[in-house]
Parts: sequence; structure tokens; C-alpha cells
Amino acid sequence: MEVSVIRICSQATNSKTELGFRDSRFSFGKFNEKLFSPKPNSVSFESPLRWGKSGLRITAQAAQSDPLPKSKSSTKSKTLNRVRLFAGLPLDVVSGGTVNQFRAISAGLKALKLLGLEGVELHIWWGVVEHESMGKYDWSGYLTIAEMVRKAGLKLNVTLCFHASSQPKIPLPEWVLDIGKTKSNIFFKDRAGKPYRGCLSLAVDELAVLNGKTPMQVYQDFCESFKSAFSAFIGSTITGITMGLGPDGELRYPSHRGFAKSDTVLGAGEFQCYDKNMLHLLKQHAEACGKPKWGLGGPHDAPAYSELPTANTFFKDHGGSWESPYGDFFLSWYSSQLIAHGDRLLSLASSVFSDSAVNIFGKVPLMHSWHGTRSHPSELTAGFYNTATRKGYEEVAEMFARNSCKIILPGMDQSDKYQLKESLSSPESLLAEIGTACNKHGVGISGQNSTVGAPDGLKQIKKNMLSENLNDSFIFQRIGAQFFAPEHFPLFIEFVRKLNQPDLNSGNLPTKEGTATATDSVHTRSNLSIHMQSA
Amino acid sequence: MAAVTIDSLLQNPTLLFRPKAKVLLKPPRSLDCSRNRKLPLSRGSCFCSFNPRRTIHVVRASSSETALIGNFDTSSSDDILYKDIFPVKRIEKVEGKFFIRLDRSKDQHDWQLTVGCSLPGKWILHWGVSYLGDSGSEWDQPPKGMRPPGSIPIKDYAIETPLKKLSEGDIFHEVKIDFNPSSEIAAIHFVLKDEETGAWYQHRGMDFKVPLVDYLEDDGNTVGAKRVFGVWSGALQQFSNVLLKSEASHADSQNNSIESKDSKNKNRCLEGFYEEQSIVKEVSVGNLVSVAVRKSPETGKVIVCLETDIPGDVVVHWGVCRDDAKIWEIPAAPYPPETTVFKNKALRTSLQPKATGNRSGALFTLDEEHFGFLFVLKLDDNTWLKFKGNDFYVPLLGTSSVLDQYGQSDSTTEEISSKSYTDGIINEIRNLVSGLSSEKSQKTKTKEVQESILQEIEQLAAEAYSIFRSSITTIPEEVVSETETTKPAVKISSGTGTGFEILCQGFNWESHKSGRWYMELKEKASEISSLGFTVIWLPPPTESVSPEGYMPKDLYNLNSRYGTFDELKELVKSLHDVGMKVLGDVVLNHRCAHFKNQNGVWNIFGGRLNWDDRAVVADDPHFQGRGNKSSGDNFHAAPNIDHSQEFVRKDLKEWLGWLREEIGYDGWRLDFVRGFWGGYVKDYLEASEPYFAVGEYWDSLSYTYGEMDHNQDSHRQRIVDWINATNGTAGAFDVTTKGILHSALERCEYWRLSDQKGKPPGVVGWWPSRAVTFIENHDTGSTQGHWRFPGGKEMQGYAYILTHPGTPAVFYDHIFSHHRSEIANLISVRNRNGIHCRSLVKIVKAERDVYAAIIDEKVAMKIGPGYYEPPSGSQRWSLALEGRDYKEGCRPSLIILFASAIVVSFFTPKYIGVIDLRARLDQVIIGAS
Repeated sequence: MEVSVIRICSQATNSKTELGFRDSRFSFGKFNEKLFSPKPNSVSFESPLRWGKSGLRITAQAAQSDPLPKSKSSTKSKTLNRVRLFAGLPLDVVSGGTVNQFRAISAGLKALKLLGLEGVELHIWWGVVEHESMGKYDWSGYLTIAEMVRKAGLKLNVTLCFHASSQPKIPLPEWVLDIGKTKSNIFFKDRAGKPYRGCLSLAVDELAVLNGKTPMQVYQDFCESFKSAFSAFIGSTITGITMGLGPDGELRYPSHRGFAKSDTVLGAGEFQCYDKNMLHLLKQHAEACGKPKWGLGGPHDAPAYSELPTANTFFKDHGGSWESPYGDFFLSWYSSQLIAHGDRLLSLASSVFSDSAVNIFGKVPLMHSWHGTRSHPSELTAGFYNTATRKGYEEVAEMFARNSCKIILPGMDQSDKYQLKESLSSPESLLAEIGTACNKHGVGISGQNSTVGAPDGLKQIKKNMLSENLNDSFIFQRIGAQFFAPEHFPLFIEFVRKLNQPDLNSGNLPTKEGTATATDSVHTRSNLSIHMQSA
Repeated sequence: MAAVTIDSLLQNPTLLFRPKAKVLLKPPRSLDCSRNRKLPLSRGSCFCSFNPRRTIHVVRASSSETALIGNFDTSSSDDILYKDIFPVKRIEKVEGKFFIRLDRSKDQHDWQLTVGCSLPGKWILHWGVSYLGDSGSEWDQPPKGMRPPGSIPIKDYAIETPLKKLSEGDIFHEVKIDFNPSSEIAAIHFVLKDEETGAWYQHRGMDFKVPLVDYLEDDGNTVGAKRVFGVWSGALQQFSNVLLKSEASHADSQNNSIESKDSKNKNRCLEGFYEEQSIVKEVSVGNLVSVAVRKSPETGKVIVCLETDIPGDVVVHWGVCRDDAKIWEIPAAPYPPETTVFKNKALRTSLQPKATGNRSGALFTLDEEHFGFLFVLKLDDNTWLKFKGNDFYVPLLGTSSVLDQYGQSDSTTEEISSKSYTDGIINEIRNLVSGLSSEKSQKTKTKEVQESILQEIEQLAAEAYSIFRSSITTIPEEVVSETETTKPAVKISSGTGTGFEILCQGFNWESHKSGRWYMELKEKASEISSLGFTVIWLPPPTESVSPEGYMPKDLYNLNSRYGTFDELKELVKSLHDVGMKVLGDVVLNHRCAHFKNQNGVWNIFGGRLNWDDRAVVADDPHFQGRGNKSSGDNFHAAPNIDHSQEFVRKDLKEWLGWLREEIGYDGWRLDFVRGFWGGYVKDYLEASEPYFAVGEYWDSLSYTYGEMDHNQDSHRQRIVDWINATNGTAGAFDVTTKGILHSALERCEYWRLSDQKGKPPGVVGWWPSRAVTFIENHDTGSTQGHWRFPGGKEMQGYAYILTHPGTPAVFYDHIFSHHRSEIANLISVRNRNGIHCRSLVKIVKAERDVYAAIIDEKVAMKIGPGYYEPPSGSQRWSLALEGRDYKEGCRPSLIILFASAIVVSFFTPKYIGVIDLRARLDQVIIGAS
């Protein structure tokens, strides 16, 4: 039997010191067995209070004991992290200030509560709230949701979306698009000059392109307004805030346009450095490096969106331009711009919510196509300078750690065996790579499933939840007809059941938890959540 | 002994007037004879006996509901956990008799045939005559003078005359037919029909035949005249053979009335007879089954009290279940008296008669841990009673109290106020979640609560699901372009077209009435094409004696009741413009003559094809043809064309070529191809080179005692034989599939939809590329309704044919009806998924209440009220269509899904499932009410 202690590191101020404790585990061995074995079934539920108290007492001791070195925890692979499970609400749950499918949401929330989920995740769209004009916010629909969630006894993780959605169609605010009509350079552009209207270019972050304000200021105003509108919920119902960082909320360039089709090989994607402001930054950088000629544009020998990496010489496995000094120059700059952008937004969020008891998250994409090549073209075009020879996610994790933010990693449902062979894709190894970087820097990882879905997804998610790749929470995407469909929902119930009862110890004693009372202590006592399991 | 058997034939009128079809007679189910209730078939003879030997069975009135309820109230109601009364319907066979009497009428000149029936009902005598010199067994209408008042002619071959009670006190409904024995009539044929139930009563699968002359070839269905019948008790199939052999030896001893067999003039020696036979009618009787669950205060055991007013021996086949999955288990002893264990799966207990009333019942004492009590009732070896197609289910746990506790937390306000309550539930959930492995040691009480929470979760999920789902548009359009490109280029053959054809029957039986059908249809051309049809079948275009066009006269005169020659050309052009191929309905079997021959018989043709009587087959006595004998069956109303004549074939080929050339027809629908050899069709098709051709080869399916045989191989074999004779140059309408669908859908016998080899049981299972599947046409449906598809089941029928291989044909009346959008959806699913006439069908389920199949691994379909869910493995399924039959209850009556490999986004519904949760909830509700 084993008791694990997981710390939820939440806030900027003291988090760094706590980071190292995340994976501490203690084996109580015979001690616990004595304590709980004789009447395992009667202990936990007929008197949850007693159980909770004893659990607390023990963990308090544990917390004060010496943390075990991490290497030891690997021998306890049977242990299951108690990962908090969330489910995403429909993306278009609010439109025009009203809640869509109110009754369905309300029934769904109750079902999830009964099922034992921690909470739900809510997308709050820039294009919905600040739809009409700058500085005019309409939070009403989202407030209704927050109230519903509170009433349902669930937690809420809010995602602030400064991007657009294509399905369902939720564009950027109208006034932003209007500005974009005349100043198309506020958007990312590809080599052909085609703008991406799903979010603003990171190059304008600090430029006063929005009616005299910089996008960063607009984002900050938005966050402040959110904070005051939801002050009653933040820290209690709202326990997490995810900052939108780019296309689909992810920290990346829109290097792939259109939808990914699961049955076609994804191309390499394109570099997005062709809007006027990006080009300007590139030029400055090149001149500063003494290579002015390198600052005139992106790589000339990179393939187009849907072309295979081998279609041109930039990504060639051996002797490709990416390995040349020019390649290093460009890719360093390209990725650092992205990281700087993420840093700006996450530190903004951290400062705005510094006095609130919430976790701040940012989402990092899982660009797993072509991970099997040396150059990792998909990652490079998306802005991650991660190749066979360079560990690019270190910088990313470091940036998250700097801002005391946690990472959301999508694609936890993707497994290698269902990838198209031709795409040399490996979601599992990429996930492990990012996970290692995060663990090294003490960045908590929250998982998500991919939006495209995957065969045997739930199985893969479970596998990830049992691994080091995931240690904070999991946000299941996404509530809707499909989610509750008889084809899916029973599987989900089964999934939730099994999470708490991994195959490995299914034959042994029942798993027990004292969460109900223990979680109450989270907010009163230094953000420490305690979860106990017998193995 | 009059060994006449009565065959109640459901829904197959074709058999009545086209009885050449070989009808398989299976031996009567022997179990019939050993059953308690009266036998449906009796071999008992009543020759010349006027004494009714059997008591007449009156439909039993079901005992009243109040009686049963009253009975309950008297039992101790204190501890009743549950009680319910289930109405059940069962089929009771009511026996009566009917007689046939031939005697001289009062004036001693004419004779009189009397047919009477003692069973209540609206009896109709469906009858006709055959004339001297007729061969074959087709009927003709009797002369006017012979028809009793109230008779209605049915087409041109039969009369329907209702049976009446002569006076109120009479037991028998009767009909009397007077006739003159010196007329040309050789025999009277009839069958009996019950208008109330639609059942037909036949004589060993054929019509009753009363010969008025004695040399008639005996087909085995003769009544009365041959006395030798009675001595034989051999198996029925041997009957006609035996009869022929026996005639010589027994004729003298038994038969003193037949004087001569060789003289035509002296064969009128009729003798009166009277024959009586038993007749059985199936009547639906309502009964009640009442169940009460009590808890015994002393022992703490649960007592289930079951009672019913079903008469006779009733066996309860029962078990218990431990959860909502309702898996049968055998509880621990003790069991009630007269209980046996059945295959380790269930228990069987005979109900004991009660002292009061004609009820029987039993008490079951069970331990309290059981979740539910399941049972079905068994009346005899073949009769089982279920509840709405499912097992009877009685919840044993105090369902109502559980629901009170957990089922009603609807309002959100309640949730907050009862936080501790919610936490309690959460704990229970956690308990449930984590404690499964040690379930055995769990207390049952906890399990109950867990179950009820799970139920509530499911209930909430179902609610959320239904709302979310209703606001979603299905079928991502992106798929369209993908699949269209994958259509293989197929060589066009006249038997199949491209293989991707979908046929529209572009008219009904009334279409001629407006006189401008061509113009009306022209306006709908683009509409029909837009629904996805590729081929349209137009009505017969030639001048015709009957307005519908099936009695053609001058083949080159294309002015008909549907419109003029020019209008037809215009219509065909518009149809071509919208991309459809056009089939002409060509009647090659027969042709109406212009002139009489010297004997006054109409058999001389005029117009451009001015054939004489050599073009008419020789074996149709009505028309005195001088050609060869017919190479197929005869159609009686007009001279049958002798296709063996070189000049006839040459002319017809020329005519077909002219139609192709002049009108622009792309192919043919060939009328009544049973009438001539398929080899000639091959000849015509090779000459006219149609794009597509389909023949109407319509004869009867095989029935045994009114019940359609599962195996229709002989039926489809005949159609396949014909296709084979055409060398595969034509397809044929899949009459077999239609017939089987009738039985399967109407009687909820979906198991019929798989043959012994697990393939579709119709022509489509054997030669799919040549099967033109359909569920209705102008003859079977429309205003004629000769063999109408079961009402309300049309969409299930279309769901079947439009997802399966073969070339589906949709009837005009259905396209322009409320089914239209669903049909359009089905066609679009077919087209999008590239299902074609050779697609592979994998039957996944063919059970009592559900049929499911996966076609080309791309489309999954199910019909029937039962449950089916496609495998969820590596494929994702999108809902294409869901149909609902409100009578069937809450499950969709049909579901079509297609596999969508491409997912546009996660929240585009990839699959919208069968409403399993809801169905389960319904059961809960039923159980709790």
C-alpha cells in the first residue's frame, strides 16, 4: 500500500521552491496495511470524515518527511497519480450572451459530477465577449455557465481564447477583423502573402495597431475585466485559467492551414514570417548578427504546406539547410520570437492573477508529424527549434517555469501504432520528450486529447495518465452529442472507473480515496492536495 | 373421407389466379396434432354427413381486468413492493367448418353450388370458372347470369361474392351459385377469403376446384366429384400421384356416377355432393398477466405472485437477474412445485389453476438480493408470450423508493441545499468506481445505491445527448467529393447498367387519368434526377385497349392516355437533359387484335404489324392461334404472341430498334416475361442493345399453411433461371425479396432476412447484379393493391433495398409522399458510399426483432425494433438516417450509418448511436410504473 502526495504548485511567488516535490512518494508499507486492511470496505464511505482526518494526518507527516529521490518512484510504477479529470464544455456553449442548450449542459454537469469528475473546462472567446467594440465586454453568458458549474459542485478551468475557431465558427472580434481589412499585416502571413485570420501575429504584440493600443494591452484589459467579472468564482469555482497563446490557443505559428485529415500525410507546413512586422524583426535581427542578407525573408528552399519535407532541400535529413549556419540563424530567431510571445502573455496572466488562487496554463501543441526525421519539419515550422540534435522544448519549459505556469499538452490519445507510417510520426516519443523537459524544469503537465480523435484513444489516455507525462489534470475534449452518445459515454464511464483502478492492481485490495474532504483542505492549507491510494 | 386441407394464405393474391406456380407443401406440422387446442387442420371426413361433428368454438372472451385487480386488492397489500398487470395478446385458433354442396336447384334444371362457413367473419368467395377446352389452370370470369347478386368482378378473371347469413339464426354464412350444366363451363374454382383478417383459405395451396365435367385433369385440388379421396391417408404430397394410380382400381367400387370418359357430349352427369371441412381461423385474444411483489415480513424474502387468465396449461419460463443488464440466472432453491430446470439457464414452472375463476398462478419465493425477476410464458411448444417483444421484467428491489431518493433531483436549487447529499453520492460513486474488484463482499444495499446512481448518470447523459444531438447537422459534406472519385469505371451491360443505377418507377396505376402524364412528369424531371435517380421507367407507350397501357394494340401508335408521341419524345429529351436514362415499358407477351377471324375470334392484327393468327400461340383456346405452343405461361386477357415465329421476332426487334431511335429510350422494362422463353428476350436485347433492361417475372412465393416458408430458394431459382435464359442480358425484379420483406416486417420476423447460408434470401442473395429490388409497383400497390407492402413499413423496406446490393427501384407514389426526404437521404447515402449492384453485404444480425448488415464495410444498417450497434473498432460511424416507428416503441425502427474515415472535427458527430440508454431507461420506467 502506498500513499502518494502530490503538490499542486499554483502561484508565482513560492512555486519555485515547491517544484521539486511534485513527484515525491512515500511507501508506508506495513504501517498502512495494518491501518486499513482489516475492513477495507467499511472504512472509506460509511465514515468519510474519520477517513479524511486520518488521511490528512498521515500526509501531513509525509509532507514533512524527506522526499524520496525521483528515481525511486519508478519502481512504484503501479502507483496511479490522482489526476484531476475535467471535461471540456462545447466550444460554442455561449453565443450572443446566452447559453446554448442550457438543459443539456445542466444535465451533463450533473452526470459528470455524479461520475466524480473534478470539473469542466470553458472556452471564453475574445470574439464573443469583446465582440462589438474595443473595451466593451459581455460576460453574461459565461457568468451563467460559471454559476451552473458552481451549483453543480464542479470546478471550472477557463480558457481565454484570443484566437478564432473555424468549427464551430467563432471569428475574432468584428472590430479587430475590420482593422485587419486595412492592415492585413496584423496577421501572420505565409510565403505567398496569404494572411491567417485566426489570431494576431506575434510581431504586433507590442505595436499599437488596435485603435492606438497594443494587442498586449488589449489582452490585459480583457484579463482584468474577466477577473473583476468573475471575482466571485476565481479561486473557488475557477481553479485554473488557460491563456490563449496563438492559433487554436496553442503556442505556435499557424504553420498548417486548414484541417488535418487523419488519412492523409501532413505536409511539412510553412514558416510564417512574411507579414511586414515579422520581416522587419527578422531584418533587424539579421543586421544585428552582421548577416543583413539573411534578413530578407524566410528560407527559400522550404517546401510548401502540403508538400513532403523531402520536396525541397531545407529539411533534408542530411545536408539540409536547417543544419547550416543560416538554418540555425533563422530557426533560432523564429523560435525565440515564439517563446518571447508566450513569455509576454504568460507573465501578463501571472501578474494579473497573481493574487488569485488559480493555476495558469498555456497550451503547447504536439506537432508529432515527421518526428521520425532528423529535422522535425512540423515542429520547426510551428516554431519549436527541436531537432535530432537540439532539445528545443527545454527553452519552452523553462519559459513556463519562469512564469510558474503549467503546460497543457494535447494529443494524449494519440498512439504511434495508429499513425500513418509515411508521416514518420511519433506522438508518443514527442510527448515523452516534452514531458522530460517539463519534469526537468518542474512544469506541471495537464493533458488533453486531440480534437481529431484517435482509435483506442481512451486506452492511450489512460496509459499517459499512468505515466510521467501527465501529472496535473486531464481535460477531456469535449462534451456534446458525441460525448454522451450511447456509443461513447459508457466507455467513458468505464474509463473513469478504470482510472482509479489500474489493471495492475485490479486483483488486489480496492482503491480508496479520501478526496471529498481532502480537497477542501487545498485552499485552506497552502495549496496542498492529498490523494491516497492503496496498491 | 374428404382429405381436404385448408391453407390460409396471407397476402399473396397472385397465387389465386396464377396457380401454375409450384407450391411447396410441407407435411403438416405434426405438433399441430398433438396440441391441446383444437387442431387447425383436420383430416376428419364428413362425406355426406350433415351432422356437425364438432362443437363450434366461439371466440373466448377474455376475463375482465377488474377481476384481476380485485384479486390483488384482497391479498395483503401492506408489503407490496411492486405490482403490475401486463396485457398480452395471443393468437387463438378458432375452429369452425365450411361446406361445399352441389345439388339441383329447385326447378330441377339448373344446378346450384353452395359454399357456407360457420365461423364468424366477413367471408368472401373469390371465384372464377374454367371453360371446356381450357388448358392450364387460369381462371375466367363466369358468365353474367351465373354471378349471384352482390358480386364484384376482380379484373378480368375472378368474381368476389360475399357470404351471407340467410337469416339471423343461421350458423352458416352462405353463398349460392346457380349454373346451367349445359354451358361451356368445365369447373368452378374458388378460394375463401376472410375480409376481417385478410386471410385466404385455400385447398392445399391451390384453389378449390369443383369439376362440372369429369375428364378434367386432376391437379390434386378437386373437390367432391372423386369419391376415392377418402380412402387415402397417405402424405399429402403423394396425393395426386396416388390418385392417378388408384383411379382404375377404385373407380368401380366407389364411383357409380361417372359413366363415360370419352364422350364430350355425355359428360354432364353431375351428381350432387356435400362436403364439410373444418376451418381454422386465427383470432387475436387479449389476456392479462398480473404480477405482484411482496416482501415477507417474517422471512425477509421476496415473494413474487404471478397470475393470469390465459386458459389451458401455462408454463412460466423464468429466472432472476442481478443488474440492469437483465442476464438470466437461476436463483437458489426452493422453487415452486412443478418446477424444472431448463438447460441451466432458466426454470420452468407450471401454473396451478386457482380455485376461483378460470385463472392460474404461482408463487415464487426469492432471496432479497435479486435485482429483477424475468419471465416469459410458454403456452405450448411453439407459442411463447412475451411483453412487447421482450422478456417480462419485474423489478424486485424496492424500485420506487430508490427512485424517490435519487431519481428526482432535477432542480438545480436542490443540489446546493443538499451538498452533503451530493457528497454522499460522490462517495458512493467512488466506492463503486474503486470497489468493483471486491464486489462479492459488498453489501447488496450499496450495490443498489450504486446501480441507481449509475442509472441516474445514464439518465442525465441520455437527456444531454438527446438535446445536443437534436441541434446538430449530420453528414459532413466533405465526404462527397472523395467518394465520387473512387467510383470504378464499369463496363456497361444491359443487365446492370453501370452497376450504380437507381431506378425510379415514373408512374402509378392512375397516371393515365389526366391524359397528360408525360407533360406532368416532364416538370418533375429535374426534381427526380436531383434525388439521385439515374434511370426512370416510363409507362407503356403504345395504343392500348386498357387505359394503363398493358393491353397493347398497334405497337407503332405511340399516342396513349399518357400523352402523344411528340410529348413522349419531349419528355424523354428532358429526362436525358437532366442526366437520366429512360426505360420504355414494353409488353411483348401479348397483343390485342384488331379484327376477328372467320370464327369470330379476335386474333387478326392490324396497323404496321398486321400479323395473322400464326403470331398467336396455339395453346390458348380463347384465341385459336395457329402458332406453336407457348414457351411460357399464358396471359388470358389477350392473344399471347408466339415468339417462336421468325417473322414475329424480326418485327419485334425492328420495333424495339425504332423505339430506341425514334423516342430515345435507353432500355426496357419487360412486362410479363413469364409468358415466353427468356432466350427470346436475349435475342431482343442483343438486337436493341439497351443500356439497361429489367423483366417482370412475378409468381408466387412458397407458403405452407398460410405461413411463408423461410426457404424461398425455389422461388428465386425460377427468377434466376429466367435471367439465366436471357444470358444475363436483363435483370429481373426481385419479387422474392419483396415477399420476404412482407413477412419479416409485418410479423416482426427479421430472421427471415438471412438465408441458410447467411446471405440475403432473395434473388439479391444469389445474383445481386441482376436483381432489381423493389417494394412496390403499380400492380402491387397504387390503387390496385394486389400485394401491398405492409403499411408503415415502407421506409424499412427502402432502408433495406437502398443499402443493399442489387439495383433498387423506388415507386413513384413513395417518392412523392412524406417518405420523400428519407428516400432522398438513403439514395444519397448509397451514392456517397458508392454502393453498387455487386456490393458485398455482411449480415450481422438476423433475429426476431432486428436485422442488421454492413455493406462494403462502409454502411451499417439495421431495421426492426431490436437493438444493434455497429462495431466501433477502427471505424467511425456517422448517422445517415434514423427512422422511427412510433408503434414499435422507442427504439428507432431503422438506422443507417456510414463509416467516415475522415473526421472534419472532433465535434462533428461521428456516430450517433442507437438510443441504448434511453431504451434501458424505458425498461426501468416500465418496470417501475
